[in-house]
Amino acid sequence: MAHALKEPGWYRAALGTVIGAAFGFFLVVGLRLLAGLDAFQTEQTGYPQLVVPLITAPFGFLIGFGAFDYWFRWAAGKPTVPDDHSGHGATRWQDYFTFNTDHKVIGIQYIVTTFFFFFIGGVLALLIRAELAQPGTQVLDANLYNGVFSTHAVVMIFLFIIPMFAGIANYVLPIMIGAPDMAFPRLNALSFWLLPIAGLIFLGSFLAPGGSFDAGWTGYAPLSTGAPVGQSFFNIGVQFAGASSIATAINFLVTIITMRAPGMNLWRMPLLVWANLSTSLLVVGATPFIAGVQFMVFFDRIMGMNFFQFLEGGNVLSYQHIFWFYSHPAVYIMMLPGFGIISEVIATHARKPVFGYRLMALALLGIVVLAYSVWAHHMFVAGMFSWLRVPIMITTLLIAVPTGIKIFSWLGTLFYGKIHTYSTAMLFSLGFIVTFTVGGISGVMLGLVPLDIHMSDTYFVVAHIHFVLFGGSVFTIFAGIYHWFPKMTGRMYDERLGRVHFWGTMIGTWGTFIPQHWIGLDGMPRRVVDYATQYGDWNLVISVFSLVLGLAQLVFLYNMVVSWKWGPKAGDNPWRSKTIEWLVSSPPPTFNFDEIPRVVGGPYEYGTPGARHAIMGGEDAETSVPEPKPSTVAAPS
Amino acid sequence: MPKVPYLKLTLASLAIGAVISVLMLQYDWMGDAASTAAGPIDTLLDWMIVLSSFTFSVVCVFLAYALYRFRVKPGDEGDGLPIHGNTRLEVIWTLIPTVIVLFAGGYSWIVLDEVESKEADPLIVNVYSQQFAWTFGYPGEGNKWSEGEFHVPVDRQVVFKMNAQDVIHSFWVPEWRIKQDNVPGITTDAVITPDREGTFQLVCTELCGAGHATMRATVVVESEQKFNKWLKGLDDTVPEGLYLTADQAIDLQKQIQKNSGGIDGSGIEQTGRKNVTSS
Amino acid sequence: MESASITATGQATTDDHHHHGPPAYHQSARIDQTVLGILLFILSEIMLFASFFAAYFFIRVVTGPETWPPPGVELPVLIAGINTVVLISSSFTVHYALEAIRKDNHDGLKLGLVLTWLLGATFLFIQINEYIHIGFTPRDGAFGSIFFSLTGLHGAHVFVGLLLLTFATVRAFRGHFGPAHKDHLGVEVPGIYWHFVDIMWIIVFASIYIL
Repeated sequence: MAHALKEPGWYRAALGTVIGAAFGFFLVVGLRLLAGLDAFQTEQTGYPQLVVPLITAPFGFLIGFGAFDYWFRWAAGKPTVPDDHSGHGATRWQDYFTFNTDHKVIGIQYIVTTFFFFFIGGVLALLIRAELAQPGTQVLDANLYNGVFSTHAVVMIFLFIIPMFAGIANYVLPIMIGAPDMAFPRLNALSFWLLPIAGLIFLGSFLAPGGSFDAGWTGYAPLSTGAPVGQSFFNIGVQFAGASSIATAINFLVTIITMRAPGMNLWRMPLLVWANLSTSLLVVGATPFIAGVQFMVFFDRIMGMNFFQFLEGGNVLSYQHIFWFYSHPAVYIMMLPGFGIISEVIATHARKPVFGYRLMALALLGIVVLAYSVWAHHMFVAGMFSWLRVPIMITTLLIAVPTGIKIFSWLGTLFYGKIHTYSTAMLFSLGFIVTFTVGGISGVMLGLVPLDIHMSDTYFVVAHIHFVLFGGSVFTIFAGIYHWFPKMTGRMYDERLGRVHFWGTMIGTWGTFIPQHWIGLDGMPRRVVDYATQYGDWNLVISVFSLVLGLAQLVFLYNMVVSWKWGPKAGDNPWRSKTIEWLVSSPPPTFNFDEIPRVVGGPYEYGTPGARHAIMGGEDAETSVPEPKPSTVAAPS
Repeated sequence: MPKVPYLKLTLASLAIGAVISVLMLQYDWMGDAASTAAGPIDTLLDWMIVLSSFTFSVVCVFLAYALYRFRVKPGDEGDGLPIHGNTRLEVIWTLIPTVIVLFAGGYSWIVLDEVESKEADPLIVNVYSQQFAWTFGYPGEGNKWSEGEFHVPVDRQVVFKMNAQDVIHSFWVPEWRIKQDNVPGITTDAVITPDREGTFQLVCTELCGAGHATMRATVVVESEQKFNKWLKGLDDTVPEGLYLTADQAIDLQKQIQKNSGGIDGSGIEQTGRKNVTSS
Repeated sequence: MESASITATGQATTDDHHHHGPPAYHQSARIDQTVLGILLFILSEIMLFASFFAAYFFIRVVTGPETWPPPGVELPVLIAGINTVVLISSSFTVHYALEAIRKDNHDGLKLGLVLTWLLGATFLFIQINEYIHIGFTPRDGAFGSIFFSLTGLHGAHVFVGLLLLTFATVRAFRGHFGPAHKDHLGVEVPGIYWHFVDIMWIIVFASIYIL
């Protein structure tokens, strides 16, 4: 036992958590007693004796778990323990519960964890729909309802969509560019372990005095600065999720810039790589803004600062400006990796090169640039500078152009292809095109100031974001999961169940979210526990379809679990794809390659006889293929 | 290369887009209209519905055709044609959407200017929102006050000056199509000309706490005579505990003194403080 | 076998000596991974500061109080100015340390790092002293919030910078580091971060104390 407490692992992590929590607790109590105050402070915005341990305990956990062992040794100038690679890779399920630095293990950790939170967020969504099935309050009281929809949004955004894309890319991207691992494997593992911490903090807020954070995921001040202590859980949880996100983005950028295989210049990168490059640029630049603004709210709450207290000279609207400067780019952070996935899936399953590859890549970069200039379109009725509305409207509308380019290019890819519609990955991609088009169209409508004045904060907005985030992001996630499932597990999923899942999801999504446009336009505001009786019928319809949507996900869960264990062997390249991750075994070996592959062509050379994307090590006999020139592409930095 | 009937597909898209447009235009999506702003805004929505219908129909028709025509035959292990792109096509689908959205933007700008244009001699109504109630003041009509209900005359422009007392609330009468957040510390305003008599509901649309869903007020639009009669019956003592202006709120906070009331015109426009307003 | 095939592509790389992870990758850019990583991290740090500067802009310009700083508040510009000189000079000493190790001058490295550390600690000490005697608290109006959060955020960065410098100093005294680039990344990277902290202070100082 004593030995187990010295080695990094769960025992030491538990001990570290306890020590961390106790340190925070006694620090607060001690300082308060020294200052001559009561030991405990129980104002609803305060509770420092609860909030400070919430910050220190996770660090205790991470130290105990072994996240910093290497760095501590390095910092102290001691010889660092040479990795014998026995901790690398995963041979048994227990290996997924360690501080593992293998990008593929981390990818699986991300994917499984985020699906866990997806199901929690889904249960919260069904609770919301249960309450809204009829006018009046039946299931949840107003306070709990506000907490439930706030947590639903936060869990889905910060613990499902954003980290899920990080997880898929973590698994696939290094192999795609011919790298043995990510640039900073230990940072990569740390990024992952910050996530469950954030998740537990968010969900733990339900146990806080006064209930969960209930100011919406947007947490507008001054509602949030005066809310019960659960709001502080949100402030802190966002810091952990945000730090994870930034660290991953830096990792992706460095990996993509410095670790590409010989011959893989920028215009030979698969579009998933382009998409993650663009996304990471957004994360590095924008995520600090939500960290900053949640710090400010936290300071207002805990330390009595006055950033958003208008009585003391603070500025209420500055919250929204700073918040949306992150949170609008966040929408693209949740969408661009999905665009990348769809490009991979469609090219592979339509057996055709992506139409207009360069324009597709440039469209991604165009969205990155425009994304930084549209934050205020969430504030057309917020009372901000009125002169800012029209310029922001124009930039908002212009974002439809690169997005449209992507939709049309995917359609162009399908033409003259050989479309394999039996594959569930392809079905989700096609469903994505149609569903996301609707989300894009309603987005353009919301971008028009006169329409937005009527539509903002109604169910139309709820419908729009769910068409974009569910019909967009989640469909692409499913497409990606089905596409790479054989690669990750070495086994094939059940296509029949996949189709059931697809049609259940498709019908559920349209049935749930289309009527929300109608009741929103007609006058039903969002974030309400109760509503006018005239909307009762449609809300019942919506709730029934949401149940269909929820049940369809159980099919997915069953399919994934059973196929992972008992599915038929998939082989290395069941889709006959050209990109590098399909040229290694399924699942790929530790460190992916014995020799780094050489890239000799574009990633989607379907239909050209003899054309290849990459030559794997051990194929040296094939000298007929021209030797790639040494990489001459300078890094963008 | 197998031939694709592009012309037919385009015509089919247009035809289906036209059918969807016609169907979608049969219904008043935003419900009853009761202000002069509703006309231009509803027309803008109709335009967008038409543009959207055509866009959606183009995507669906071409997608459906691709699925019908280029679906793989069972057992076919081959690849599609190695087409990497078509510069002319790519230019077209960059330029056309650009033109469409810029048209929508320009048109919206015109509509925005139209619905926000001010007339001479509007009726000023002050709106005070707090968790979870609405209070209304009529500074120009003898400083009258009303709680939970307000009346305005039909066909006269009303300028609402809004002040939130605690957290952000939002003022929305769906039939008027106008929404404006009430923000603590600044005065925001909205310009509305009601053009239909009736009783409507004022809805709070910004999450403001546990009572948000039920934070409503009654709106009555009536003839000038009825309005004046209603106004006469109102009290002119300031309701307890209102911050009439941001400055006043600060004074109240700092001096911890009771609201003395009776401030002439409730002073919103006379503050020395810099206010950001929405127009 | 492994390295042979990579050499064949013309761009051989070897692992740096404390990197015991995966096998050699193909280096597709000339910039070092750690240096690129710290530069990107600094980019995100700049944006974190930018969010607080945005709050500063809204409180000072948009809300627009008549006097700034509020009446009765006198900022110790002279002391803060001296503190600025202290911090800026530490940028030169850390640069000296880096130049020294490039020439394999270990004594110069140690001297430079120790001097930098002392200057940084002096800055932090003066800053804390200023907090104690400044006469207002973070609770005193939006001005107090902005003053303490911007200088405090910067102070936290000085603290982190000092931690990194401590690591480098300890390792320097244990005889680590050498003239080859990969052998003194442990000095270069904290140095880059330290320069960032210094430059950021100039901006904070200018906007809080002078403007």
